[in-house]
Amino acid sequence: MTEPCPLSFRTLSNASRRLASRSLLLGLLLPVLLSAEDPVQSDFYTITQIPAPEGVVIEGGAIELLPDRKVAVCTRRGQVWTVENAFDYPDKEAKWTLFAEYLHEPLGLAWKDGWLYAVQRPEVTRMKDEDGDGRADVFETVSDGWGISGNYHEYNFGSRFDKDGYLWAPLCLTGSFTSNTLFRGWVLRIGADGDVIPTASGVRSPGGIGFNADGDVFYTDNQGAWNGSSSLKWVKPGSFQGNPNGNIWYDYADGKAGQRPVDPPYSEKGSRTVTERENIAELIPPAVIFPHGKVGNSPTVVETDTSDGKFGPFVGQVFVGEQTHSKIHRVFLEKVNGLYQGAIFPFLEGFESGNIGVRISDDGALFTSGSNRGWGARGGKNFNFERVTWTGKVPFEVHEMRALPDGFELTFTKPVDPESATDGSFSIKAYTYIYQKAYGSPEVDHVEPKVSVASVAADGLSLRLKVEPLTRGHVHELEAKGLRSRDATPLLHPQAYYTLNEIPE
Amino acid sequence: MKQFLSSLFLFAAFTSGFSQDDKILQLGKTTYQSCVACHGADGKGMKAGDLLMAPSLHESAFVKGDHPDLLTAIILKGILKEDNKYVQAMLPLEAALSNEQIAAVIAYITHEYTGKRRSPTANDIEKWRKKYADQKSPWKRNDLQSLLDSAKAPRLLTDLRYSVYEGKWEELPDFSKLEPVATGTLDDGLITLAPASKIKGGFGMVFEGRLTLTEAEEYRFSLTSDDGSALAVDGETVVGNDGIHPAKTQRMKEKLEPGEHNLKVLYFDGGGQRFLSLNIRGEKLGTIWLSESQKESGSKSKSYDPILLTAHKPGEAIVHRAFLPDAKPRAIGVGYPAAVNLVWDADTLNLAYVYRGEFMDASPHWNGRGSGSKPLGQDRIKPAPGLPLQVLESLDEPWVPYSEAKIAYERDTANPTKEVTFNLRHPDYQFRGYRLDAKRFPTFRYDYRGATVTDHFTTEEIDGVQSLVRTLSFEGAAEENLYLRLADSGPLTREGDWYSLGALAIRVEGAEPVERQVNGKKELLAPVSSATTLTVTYRWNTPLAD
Repeated sequence: MTEPCPLSFRTLSNASRRLASRSLLLGLLLPVLLSAEDPVQSDFYTITQIPAPEGVVIEGGAIELLPDRKVAVCTRRGQVWTVENAFDYPDKEAKWTLFAEYLHEPLGLAWKDGWLYAVQRPEVTRMKDEDGDGRADVFETVSDGWGISGNYHEYNFGSRFDKDGYLWAPLCLTGSFTSNTLFRGWVLRIGADGDVIPTASGVRSPGGIGFNADGDVFYTDNQGAWNGSSSLKWVKPGSFQGNPNGNIWYDYADGKAGQRPVDPPYSEKGSRTVTERENIAELIPPAVIFPHGKVGNSPTVVETDTSDGKFGPFVGQVFVGEQTHSKIHRVFLEKVNGLYQGAIFPFLEGFESGNIGVRISDDGALFTSGSNRGWGARGGKNFNFERVTWTGKVPFEVHEMRALPDGFELTFTKPVDPESATDGSFSIKAYTYIYQKAYGSPEVDHVEPKVSVASVAADGLSLRLKVEPLTRGHVHELEAKGLRSRDATPLLHPQAYYTLNEIPE
Repeated sequence: MKQFLSSLFLFAAFTSGFSQDDKILQLGKTTYQSCVACHGADGKGMKAGDLLMAPSLHESAFVKGDHPDLLTAIILKGILKEDNKYVQAMLPLEAALSNEQIAAVIAYITHEYTGKRRSPTANDIEKWRKKYADQKSPWKRNDLQSLLDSAKAPRLLTDLRYSVYEGKWEELPDFSKLEPVATGTLDDGLITLAPASKIKGGFGMVFEGRLTLTEAEEYRFSLTSDDGSALAVDGETVVGNDGIHPAKTQRMKEKLEPGEHNLKVLYFDGGGQRFLSLNIRGEKLGTIWLSESQKESGSKSKSYDPILLTAHKPGEAIVHRAFLPDAKPRAIGVGYPAAVNLVWDADTLNLAYVYRGEFMDASPHWNGRGSGSKPLGQDRIKPAPGLPLQVLESLDEPWVPYSEAKIAYERDTANPTKEVTFNLRHPDYQFRGYRLDAKRFPTFRYDYRGATVTDHFTTEEIDGVQSLVRTLSFEGAAEENLYLRLADSGPLTREGDWYSLGALAIRVEGAEPVERQVNGKKELLAPVSSATTLTVTYRWNTPLAD
């Protein structure tokens, strides 16, 4: 087994310099220099690379858990593998079996009632091995109720099935600025019986989709036209997610997604999402913006921690894959005035390739797989299949960041040292992005609010920050560098980025 | 070569009729004597039997061309002899001629043979010597042509800015976290490493500018670097060429819309040789260099190494879903044993074409962003692509092979309103997938107006030719006058049971085929009723050539 090499080395002793690997060299560049005792990611989470069979290219697109502790992974090359002993490798040898191959770039996998469903470019297919030789021989087309034009950009992703028996599939636009065939730029709900419910428009370039702990559906959308920065978006049925290119297809939606929203302004100077919410009733702001370049460049799949504490203290929170930066983010979500919003925290890094699929088991094994093909990834390898497990040690982290009428409440995984909870330990920068037809956006409308500590809970597990002013619609970027736990360690990740769509009353 | 040159220099004392004040042309004419042995004293090329020693300078695109330093580049480095068009290669003269002589001979040649004199200075020549210092071998004509094309082309990159970083890396760092040691603009819109020329150790550069395109098409970016580099267009990495390596070219295709795009190039040098070049190629655009250096690495990654798809076990078929040419995007390639293949189209629910020989190269599909696979082999025949079934009230009614619709929408690009034609699945049909038998041969299934159609192929040797035998079964209520279209190409002449489609013949069993001619085109149809099973055999006229 190879011990993973975390990218963010904070301890730079001479000894570790001598041990420097390529990854460590990168780590040296990070301008973070803390004391020698500071904890690092590997104290809390172990990343294990599970090697693919010789010559096999596991450019993972999605991961699903099968009965009998088998793990299924589909690849961008169209293979579907089942892996035995993926939970136990390297103690037991992983056994890879090729279940299906030559599908068309599947990026969604779901197991239901003895069938393995794959969301591939042309269709949702369900597969079964009837003759028992380990290879699928039945490939039933569940639905192909959307268009594809032959452009690589038209990726299709897929969730697992929801409680009503539908999987949710976000369909990428034809190009950055075009929807050239049916329902490109939409999220469809697809029933196991083939029923298609056009559910939401306004999608640009999704990277994955999944459920939060309450079963609501979220997808990630990548920075580009009408997306100032990448973000996690709530797929409220009937909603408009912001990119109007796909809105031409409302006529084909049989009214299932409601009325076609009015167009956002096509003017050169653009607008702001918070402004256009007043004009476009169906427009849902991103639940959590992932500031481009700061937290990542290409968010992918959405996966909720259902491990009941076996993966550490983040039960019920949402993990999001990140392709370019080879990471996994952590997201806290809350509902304020009927809208989702919340914070993204840096979480895991140092994966070997660009994570696209992520799946966590109930007993706390998190699998990830991805690729750097077509879009580079920091991990440096062409593909990866890795497992993350919790060491049992709790990292000192901001657990939740909740909006208050006059600031934020932070909760922690370990009690804070009240001495360190001073005003000077915290800073917040607030900004937003232009909502515009052009590609991406700089951070704009900067606000530097005054931050003060209003109160610290007696148990040290939470504190309240007074923030003057709070700006509705802005990302509030928190840095809590000075804060220490009672055992005098700094936060493993002192940053959090809260998207304040609504200020609670 | 030395001997050859010195013999030419015997002509150095040659005099001319130029006025005394034009000493440059005088020197040019004298210098040109190095050239007459091949190009001739009149510049029309010296005859050597039926061939010329070298091309005429009067008609040369390189001489006439509107490129500031192309002639200098040729004189310095020479031109390879790549074919038998001319007897001689053009020799490199960089060691033989001074800057003054090169400037003068260019002035002379252009003045004499094009009437449009160029007047480079000796300083210009010195600058261009440096520019082409890395060019170690004589030019290929194609390389010269693309240099010329790029000079003719409009400037694609504007507002080009650079940042220089110092550091030692083995792969591209996150430049956004680093402080540049220098920044500036490149007003000629060409990417160059020159701003970092004074840095001795490792360094990195980031270039960012505005790429303006006038056509919507698929562009190919070609990024060459020593060491690592990456290209991002509109924030998305298009070409990755990271890591420590000698000059290596990576190419990637990208469909782009007209208008302005953000273009960003990241580069680092870990020591040793440093090199960076970038070009963009489009069918309408041609090849345009976006960098001062205009070379690709010759050997590597001109195209992807083929990935030939083979069956897991002998005797099994391969069912491969990918974008394939000559079919709609929901294409399914099937490679059978005995080297017969087909493409079945799950958009039109029908056989798109049959072919034979090597099945499939997946390399374009499995590299880069995946443009689709490439059927190999030969003898490709499209018997009757498009939708398979139609109710014909009369046999004069034309076949409607595709289900398309038009929709208009406002676009956020330069062209604000546009009508898009898109493929809309025909409401009468629904694809239901396929089942693989023990040999992994698929049986495709689809619904047609409440009836179920299965479509299966197997291989059989007929008259010594490996052929495809198709079984189409229709189960359920069929409307009156329902037909299946079997062929719409070729002479469709009948010989016994066989109808000729040119290189291939088909035979129909299970229904009496109907021949008809609509809009001047012959078609072969088969009537379909409830519980019809048709057996259609596709047999090439000759065995597969080796």
